[in-house]
Order: sequence, then structure tokens, then C-alpha cells
Amino acid sequence: MAESSPGVPTSSGVCSEQDPVASSGGCNFPEYEMPELNTRAFHVGAFGELWRDRLRGQGDLSLKEPPASELPGQGGVADPGWDDAAVARDLGCDLEAATELRAVCGLDKLQCLEEDEDPEVIPQDTDLVTLGVRKKLLEHREETLTIDRACRQEILAYEMESHAIGKKPENPADMIEEGELILSVNVLYPVIFHKHKEHKPYQTILVLGNQKLTELRDSICCVSDLQIGGEFSNTPDQAPEHISKDIYKSAFFYFEGTFYNDRRYPECRDLSRTIIEWSEAHDRGYGKFKTAKMEDFTFNDLNIKLGFPYLYCHQGDCEHVVVITDIRLVHRDDCLDRTLYPLLIKKHWLWTRKCFVCKMYTARWVTNNDSFAPDDPCFFCDACFRMLHYDSEGNKLGEFLAYPYVDPGTFN
Amino acid sequence: MGAPPGLQADCEELLSRFQETDSVRFEDFSALWRSMKFGTIFCGKMRNLEKNTFTKEALALAWRYFLPPYAFQIRVGALYLLYGLYNTQLCQPKQKIRVALRDWDEILKFQQDLINSEHFDVAYIFRKLRLDKAFHFTAMPKLLSFRMKKKVQRTPVTEEFKEPNDRVMKLITSDVLEEMLNVHDLYQNMKHVISADKSNPNKTLSLVKDDFFDNIKTIILEHQQWHKDRKNPSLKLKGKDGEEKMEGNSQESESCERAASLAKIKSKAFAVVVQASKSRRHRQVRLDSSDSDSASGQATREKRNKETLKSAGRKKSSRKRGNF
Repeated sequence: MAESSPGVPTSSGVCSEQDPVASSGGCNFPEYEMPELNTRAFHVGAFGELWRDRLRGQGDLSLKEPPASELPGQGGVADPGWDDAAVARDLGCDLEAATELRAVCGLDKLQCLEEDEDPEVIPQDTDLVTLGVRKKLLEHREETLTIDRACRQEILAYEMESHAIGKKPENPADMIEEGELILSVNVLYPVIFHKHKEHKPYQTILVLGNQKLTELRDSICCVSDLQIGGEFSNTPDQAPEHISKDIYKSAFFYFEGTFYNDRRYPECRDLSRTIIEWSEAHDRGYGKFKTAKMEDFTFNDLNIKLGFPYLYCHQGDCEHVVVITDIRLVHRDDCLDRTLYPLLIKKHWLWTRKCFVCKMYTARWVTNNDSFAPDDPCFFCDACFRMLHYDSEGNKLGEFLAYPYVDPGTFN
Repeated sequence: MGAPPGLQADCEELLSRFQETDSVRFEDFSALWRSMKFGTIFCGKMRNLEKNTFTKEALALAWRYFLPPYAFQIRVGALYLLYGLYNTQLCQPKQKIRVALRDWDEILKFQQDLINSEHFDVAYIFRKLRLDKAFHFTAMPKLLSFRMKKKVQRTPVTEEFKEPNDRVMKLITSDVLEEMLNVHDLYQNMKHVISADKSNPNKTLSLVKDDFFDNIKTIILEHQQWHKDRKNPSLKLKGKDGEEKMEGNSQESESCERAASLAKIKSKAFAVVVQASKSRRHRQVRLDSSDSDSASGQATREKRNKETLKSAGRKKSSRKRGNF
């Protein structure tokens, strides 16, 4: 999967068709490399510039609120854009024609429902195939469902998608600028369960073009960061001092042949060194890898392919596949508060493991070689764990090994 | 979600009715829109999440018809459709229309054409959408998440809406043909010049059929005729006369003939794509009809050229060694 150097598209082992025409001197037009699957590599910042060049000075980039007097379709006079004179000027027609256009193309011409008709109800005499299908579905739902409402997962999914829309920062310095790029990044969970073999669960994070890679790294919540090392059967009350996140601070991103290592703290190590040494040990056909510091790069500096799987590795061996799915210019209706980015807009709902005893609370302890437990390993919530394994004075009963357990569904 | 069931059928129904009106006026479109009550397509107790997904898919579907290779009238209809869908959607805030960078230049060109040809209502509507900030300016038309397991769906281009394929005509212009003829003549002259017997060039040098240009011309004319006949059987007779007339034309229109002739051959070759076997699936030639390809299209086009020249050569087995 390695490339020889960023910016020059070469064959990427995974199955793409070789494109013999190299991108002409840094051509940054995103184009499909594998149709419908991923694009060739291009420079993010340059791509943003290409769009901005095309849209500058025409109001498309503006993030300003529409003036209150602008009533869509009515041509509120206050906004110069809606003025008939402006229309006439832009289209090269006369004023009379402009007025006529406003009437002919008004939104009232698109009205299909009467005043009193409810948009929830499907009209009786419709020819539309879509509505026919939907009607059948609704009828089926009415027949089979006792209560027809959204489940928790759906509510969560919708909330996550839309909770930040339109948010403005309190501090105007935190406002996102016009022409800023928003990248949409899918971070797949490391595979833990068999049932996820076919469709790997992922979370989607929106990140700004001028944000550093380290900001994305900090915003990725992975359960392996919260692991607490150590056996605590003898000292269940001792609050563990460090979670893995504090101890093992190293991480890297891999994009297009370069490993971006986190080097902010002295404890951070170059995890990519092992891979690079391995690749250089023999001629494995991967070309030269490079390393760089994660904190020195923003997303605008990167050369990446859209839709192509890259890697995020932390905790030494916890690997996440990272796919950048989309890049676009910031829009007036987006969340405009810089401090809220990287913004999580989608996450996979994971069912948490419940305590074996009460089946109610999420498991916080896992035991091995436990004489009291029917299973090895066995999961317990805090209360049940103590009740079963310790007497009223807090003495350990029986033989077992106990470890603190952090469920992957903790982040729900 | 993929394309919602029935949505494509509904959109194509609307667009084909619009195509039948032979007009590009918004009045006609909006009359159809109201008669089909297309705005009700969002009705029916969709909850928020489903509404969002459905609207996104609807806009993406309508968008496809707005770009080449669809015919001008269909593209105008698609713009009206987008306008209608965007303004009748029930999502709050409104779902936006995604525009990829590679398509933007084409769209601006389209808009300029509209203004030049004084189709003011179309231009007005596009301008209105832009002022309403209905667009998201993106890198690619849809989100790419590398789902390997899902079958890659090549969205088929509806034939009836397609622009009649004159891309070949644009490719083989009369200039190109003039040049080809010049080269051919030069080549023949060179052969004369370098051979010992000035009037009769060396037999070993006759690698090109002398009359290949006329042959091409005939083939292409035939093809063009066939193309026309296929579309309009009633004009068949008329065409034959036209062909005869064309034979005795002056030099200038001959070059156009040649252009047409060559264009015919190429379009005939291009129209047929051989289905590659399973083992060669990754080298499947596909009929790439998008104009806005740049470098990536180039590679596939070159490959395609080689393949189709081969197939063209095979077809014209009677004219062996037609060195193009």
C-alpha cells in the first residue's frame, strides 16, 4: 500500500488500475483513480485555492446570514441581489423582463399542496412511484408496529448529525473564515467483534483544513486509550493512577508514504520506525517512506486521496483505518464555531456488555480463573463484583484475578 | 440508502414529459410539476433522519441529469427539477446540492450559453439557486468511503436523454482531416521523390492503400446515414439523395465530408464495447461519455483508441492493412 513519494501517483498495491499519465506538475483536480472508489492524490490546500479562485468576489463564499427582509421568491427589496435591476444587469435583459421572470419563476409555481393539506399525509390520487412504495411501507408499519417512533439509535444518529448545525461562536475570533475547507474523516474502530467483519463500524469526524493533525488525534476516542493496566484483585479500592492514554502517548498517522508521528511529549516514541526499518531491510517493493512530526502539519498541507484507506496507530498496536471521505468549502449553514472542531457527527452504537449477575449495569470488572464465576472471563459491575468476591470487611474471598474493564460502548 | 425505490422512475417520467413539450421554458416545466404534484414526493411521515437521507439522494439523482452527456433540454429540465426539489424539501435547514470542482467549469460554460442564447428563465433560476446558497462546493460528487464489499454501481445513462453523440465530430475536426490528407499527399510525393523511377514508386513502399481516404469517407457517410435512419426512419429516402448530392461537392465541403466520414467510423467503433472476460475485468473498456474528463480520461481514451482501432481493423477485413 506504500507510495514512493507524496504527490506522484504510482501504483498502490491494492488493486487500482495503473494510471500511466502522471498528474501534470501537481494537478490538483480531484479525479477518480479507481472509479467510484477513490481519487488520485492531490494537495488539499491547493484544491481549496482552486475553488476559491473560481468563486471569489461573487458572494458564494460568504458566510453572512441572509438579510431578514429577504423573503424567498418575493424579492425583498432590501437585498440588492434580489433587486430586479440586479437581475437585469446580471442576465443582460431589460427591467421589464426581470420583473416578469420574478413572477414566472416564483416559488408559488412549485406549490403542489393546498393550504390545508398536511405534508405528512400522502395524497390519494398520486402517480408517483416513490409515493406508492412509501404508502405500502407506511401501511405495513401501521399493521405490524404497536408503537411507531424513532428508536434511541436513530435519535442519537440524527442528533449527532445536526446538533452543531448553524452554531455561532460567542467569541468572534473563533468564527470560521470564508473559504475554509471542511474535511470529513471516517475513523474505523479496530475490529473487536466477529459480527463486524463485513461492515466495520466507524465514527465520522469533521475537521477544518487549517487544523493540525494532532487536533484530530486528540479527538479520536478509542477505548484502548482508557485501558487500565494491572491486576487489582487484592486492592480493588485502589484508584488506578494512570490510564493508558497518559502512559503511552505515541501515535502516528500514515498518509501517502509519510508517517506523521506525534512528538509533542518527551515520552512519545517514533512508532513508525519499526515499519520503516522492516521495509528497508529487504527490497520489498514499497519505496521510500518518510517521517514527519504530526504537530507541524495541518490538513491543508497534506497530499491525500479521497476515499482511500490510511492508518492511525496509537498505543503501540491499536490500529484504526482512516478514510477521508469528503472535502468541501464551509457553508453558511455549517457550524461556524472553530472551537467545536474536530466535530464528531456520526458514531457507531455499540451494545455494552452487562454484568453477569444483575444484567443491568455495564461491566466494570473482568475476572479470570475465578472460582465463583461460571465463565472465564466473566464480567461484573462494581457492586456485584464486590458483593461476590469480598466479604463485609473487604477481605478477598477465594482465588481469582481481577482486571478493570472498559467497555467499547462506553462512549455511547 | 442508495437510490430510493421509484425515485429515478419518477424523475425520468417528469423529464421525458418535459422533453416531449420541446420547450425549455420554466412555465411549461412548472405546469408539468404541478400536474404531477411532484412536490408531494416528500410527503408521508418521514422522520428527520430519513428525510435528510432521502432529500440528499433526490438532489444527487437530479444532479446527474444536469451534466453532460445529456441533451440540452434535459439539462435545463434537470436544473428546474433541482430548483423544485430544493425549494419543496421539508428538511430544516435545507439539504444542499453538491457540486464537484471538475464540474463547475462546465456549469459556468452552460450558464454563459444560456445568457448568450437569451434563455433568461433558466439563467434566472440558476442565479437564484446560487444566491440562496443552495450549493456545497466539494471535491467529488459523492462521499467516498471505500466500501469494497458493496458492488460498485455504474449508474447507467438513460439513452433517450442523451445528447446525440457528436463528441466524435468535435474530436475529428475538418482541420485534423485536412492535415491527414496533406500528410498523405506528402507521403505519396516523398515516395515518388526517393524512388529511382520518378513516376512509379518502389513496389516495396506501397504499404498504404492509395484510396484509403475515399474509403473512409464512404464508410463514414454510410454510418452517418445509418445513424440518421436509426433515429428517423421516415427520412431515409431523403438521406440517400443528400448523399448523392454530397459526392459532387467542392473542396471545402469535402473536408467537412471527410470530417463526417472519419467521425462516423470512430463513432461506430466507439459505440461497441467488448465485454472483457473475468480475468481481464480490470482492463474492461468502458464507454466513457463524460466530457469533463481530464487526465484520467486521457489514459482510458488512449487505451480505448488502441482497442477500438484493433476492432475497427478487424471489421474492415476486406480493406486489409488500413494503416490509420
